[in-house]
Amino acid sequence: MTVITRPETPEIPVVDAAPPPGSPPPAPTARRWQPPWRNPWRRPWILEGFTWIYLIWSILPIGLAVLFSFNDGKSQSVWQGFSTRWYWGDPVNSVFHNPLLRNAVEQTIRLSLLTTVIAVPLGVAFAIGINRWRTKTSATFNFIMVFSYVIPELIFGVAMFFLFTQFFKFIHLGTMAEVLGLVTWNFSWPAIIVLARLVSIGNSYEEAAADLGASRLQSIRRVLIPLLAPAIFASAVLVFASVVDDFVVVDLLSSTSNTQPMSVIIYANTHGGNGGPALNALATLMLILSFVVAIVGVIVYRWMTRGERGSSGQEAMTSIAGM
Amino acid sequence: MTEVSGLTFHPREGWIGNDPRQPMRLSRRGFLAAAAATGLAGVAGCSSKGGSGASATTTSTAPLALPRPDNPVTWPLYSSNKAIADNLTPEKNATLKVYNWVAYINQKDLDAFGKKYNCKVELTTFNTMTEAISKLRSGQFNFDVFVPTVDVLGQLVAGKIIQPLNHTYIPNISQAWTEFTNPFYDQAWQYTVPYTIYTTGLAWRKDHVPEDPSTMANPWAFPWQAKYKGKVAVLDDYRESMSLGLMKSGFFDLNTSDTSQLAAATNTLLDLDKLVNLHIDNNDYSNVPSGQIWIHYAWSGDMAAAAGYMPKGTPVDVIGYWFPTDGKGPVGNDTMTVLSGGKNPVLAHLFLNYMMDLPNVLENISYNGYMQPINGVTPDALVQQGLLPPSLTSTVVLPSYFDNGLRELQLAPSVDAEWQQSWLRVSGGV
Amino acid sequence: MPNGSSPGYGSAAASERRLIVARGDLTKGWAARAQNRWVWAGFAMPGIIWLVLLFVIPFYAVLAIAGGQLNAIFESPVPIWNPLNWTGANFAAVFHDLIGQGAFVGPIFVRTLVYVAVASILSLVIAYPAAYFVTRFAGKRKVMFLALLVAPFWISYMMRMLAWIDLLQTNGYVNRVLVDVHLVGQPVNWLGGKSVTVILGLVYGYIPYLILVLYAGLDRIDQRLLEAGRDLGLNRVRTFLRITLPLSRQTILTGMLITVLPMVGDYFTNQMLSGSESTSMIGNVIDSQLNTTSQEAQGAALSLLLLAFLLIPMLYYVFQTRKASETAA
Repeated sequence: MTVITRPETPEIPVVDAAPPPGSPPPAPTARRWQPPWRNPWRRPWILEGFTWIYLIWSILPIGLAVLFSFNDGKSQSVWQGFSTRWYWGDPVNSVFHNPLLRNAVEQTIRLSLLTTVIAVPLGVAFAIGINRWRTKTSATFNFIMVFSYVIPELIFGVAMFFLFTQFFKFIHLGTMAEVLGLVTWNFSWPAIIVLARLVSIGNSYEEAAADLGASRLQSIRRVLIPLLAPAIFASAVLVFASVVDDFVVVDLLSSTSNTQPMSVIIYANTHGGNGGPALNALATLMLILSFVVAIVGVIVYRWMTRGERGSSGQEAMTSIAGM
Repeated sequence: MTEVSGLTFHPREGWIGNDPRQPMRLSRRGFLAAAAATGLAGVAGCSSKGGSGASATTTSTAPLALPRPDNPVTWPLYSSNKAIADNLTPEKNATLKVYNWVAYINQKDLDAFGKKYNCKVELTTFNTMTEAISKLRSGQFNFDVFVPTVDVLGQLVAGKIIQPLNHTYIPNISQAWTEFTNPFYDQAWQYTVPYTIYTTGLAWRKDHVPEDPSTMANPWAFPWQAKYKGKVAVLDDYRESMSLGLMKSGFFDLNTSDTSQLAAATNTLLDLDKLVNLHIDNNDYSNVPSGQIWIHYAWSGDMAAAAGYMPKGTPVDVIGYWFPTDGKGPVGNDTMTVLSGGKNPVLAHLFLNYMMDLPNVLENISYNGYMQPINGVTPDALVQQGLLPPSLTSTVVLPSYFDNGLRELQLAPSVDAEWQQSWLRVSGGV
Repeated sequence: MPNGSSPGYGSAAASERRLIVARGDLTKGWAARAQNRWVWAGFAMPGIIWLVLLFVIPFYAVLAIAGGQLNAIFESPVPIWNPLNWTGANFAAVFHDLIGQGAFVGPIFVRTLVYVAVASILSLVIAYPAAYFVTRFAGKRKVMFLALLVAPFWISYMMRMLAWIDLLQTNGYVNRVLVDVHLVGQPVNWLGGKSVTVILGLVYGYIPYLILVLYAGLDRIDQRLLEAGRDLGLNRVRTFLRITLPLSRQTILTGMLITVLPMVGDYFTNQMLSGSESTSMIGNVIDSQLNTTSQEAQGAALSLLLLAFLLIPMLYYVFQTRKASETAA
């Protein structure tokens, strides 16, 4: 999509007939002055200002939290010097030395990796199958899949909780239950994104491959999957970040303190009070983790779609954000 | 789950703690306590009253005893769950597995025990009693030592989860207060030795709140002051906080099943909600020192440890803690037991003995702030050792408190459900 | 699996096949052969089985608990698996708490709806202009703005709340600034059970999702339509009102749903920013009930009721998405 901008031209030049040769150039006639706010091409100062204010309001608190995680003291508002004590320096309270916080980091990474590795292939296969196998059954399950996307997480979490405490009792609450719950919760991301991509790709490439003599398996492996690769990758990135952030499902399905990931630890330690700067350090680590994954995601996505029409950083970012 | 509004009214219930291990510094994290009805159902097949839980109940089983101070209980001994023999040698190359609340025992004590008896000591922690009990009942774990509250003992005994103690291994019981050789919840101390003791009282910031509960006609009404809106908190524990409502309304049976008393308690707490935008949390150990909360219904051990949480420049004597001098307030204690599924019963017995020796006890108190009913633990001794600020000697639990104190004990399940429903009404789920 | 050496590779059959595919008719030709069908069904099967086991059955478990009984000794829920034996006791108790005499859940539910309404409208009012600006006027800086808009999406909700808790402490920056510019006389106790804090927390927490949806939707509006409007003499405000707004109606609706639905089940925002009963939401009640053994069954019943309440907007969203993806095809 092109964005057309016009130069600022507040004045409407008045063109006279050409002056007779030899005479001095005519004095410019008076221009009709228009008030600045009537100019349809003026810069939208108010909107821009508003957007900047929004962005500052949105990002500044986090910047401060990150900043104070490097504070050499416990205060959240008085800067006492730069130090990394809350990360690894402090022998008791830092994230590295406090086994609870350290376990939380490990648990988050463990859950994210496991969930991504399971949910993405499952969702991709599901999307391919649903897209090609057009029956009432598949439409019903497509519906159920979207339903799982739109349901409030608490209600979903309640259902999972009862499932593992009453029905599948052999799966106790803990990491296994958390992974199963998270996969189900995030299953819709790869499914929806890949489905959208499949719809826009259409059948033509596979048809062409079949015409050229490829077998079904070959055409899937060598044509469909590479075409879907950016979408698969984007959904993997999304699932990973979504699990890093997830709270409700893991809160309800965790059992002991060593099955609690970072989000639960932060929550448990801040209700109604201030949990201390080590939590800021923990949250900053979470942020770095998500950002690294997102940035890698955007870069790889751009690389993957480098030959395609309409590929750009903007498109990469919107795909990675799931839009 | 991080929150369990279930089982016990324990200072560590629902704790998600980290563990600073510094003297007088407790990394207490708020735990979201509460108890659940446990197996000691007094009445079988009870039906509900209007407005409480669901009325349909399933079949009942034989009732288990409800220990009370005026109804002491001697737990049965089973032939299939006998105590160990006398004069056995401690296990060699062993790993003693201790199963305790989060941040409730000093690692130094564990390390020292390991050195003394040439074994490894492994601490596993739990956040809620329900979690602990369900893990123990699953039989998948073989812990040796367990720290239960008093109200689950019946369940543990009936389920043969804990084994009877062989007293010859635990001579240090002589250092404990005499009442613990025959407590009402375990006559003749067949299964337990005491661990920590605590009271629940009113903590406040003297620099912001000039009033003093001890000068008031109804001291428990201290939090009900509208001028401290937004600065008043109670514990996130249904037994403890409902008890505050009961005591303020003049009822001192903290195990009551009287619905009108519970209703009065509920209403007065709802008034408190409206009056001060009541805050509900278990961060008394940090909120009062930091000044976020000025009046908190708090646990004694948490306040004793307050010195470690004071911000720079604020002296610890701005914190006050009040508990009725006649002892008519909530008191509680924890116990230590030996599990029958453990592999190292001799070492377990020796551990129980070790944790009742005065120097080890003082070491433990320096870590978690909670008193233990051992003879050398007096207010003077604690102050002298620097374990207790002189301004907070009111947090000390005196033996007389146990005689007159109000204990929150096992309730019959339907009564428990009433209590929980009332608490839900008061807390709004928070 | 057939490897393509099937009858019909001759030119007549091949061209017929291409015609069928060109018509977009996937139900004929090679895509519809029996083996082909099962191939695709095979792809979908793992996902389908997963959904059945871990999405459909759990709801049945919730129903079984909500329609179940309580164990007399432990007061723990006992599920009843046979639908014919389901009892209404838990639902009755929940209804009593919702609208009976002395109901306390009813007011909490109403409060939740009020908070969600205020927060979502506020979010829309903030998000729409920002998204509008970035899609229409950002020009060369669009990628930068987009990155800044997307960034909070990647920052965990917990961290965003944590950041605000830090700032809203009695001696935190917000109070310091307010006192310094003399807007207030003394520090305000933001974290002491104020509705304002919770509502702003909800706005702050959910607005990134809304803004992304709005961005995506507004971005799709063809610039040429706006140009046409401009050419026909509409000024900026009129262009917005008569072209952009109607075209973005669907986006606004989708965005609102994506914001409102999760917000109704939110309980952690209130817990973290207030911790007081005066601001509790329905999510808090359900969460608390789930964590109390004797109330688990009521928690199940209440969540089913909440689900029923939200079902219509949820179904609407699902149908909208399906329709959109089909028209895009």
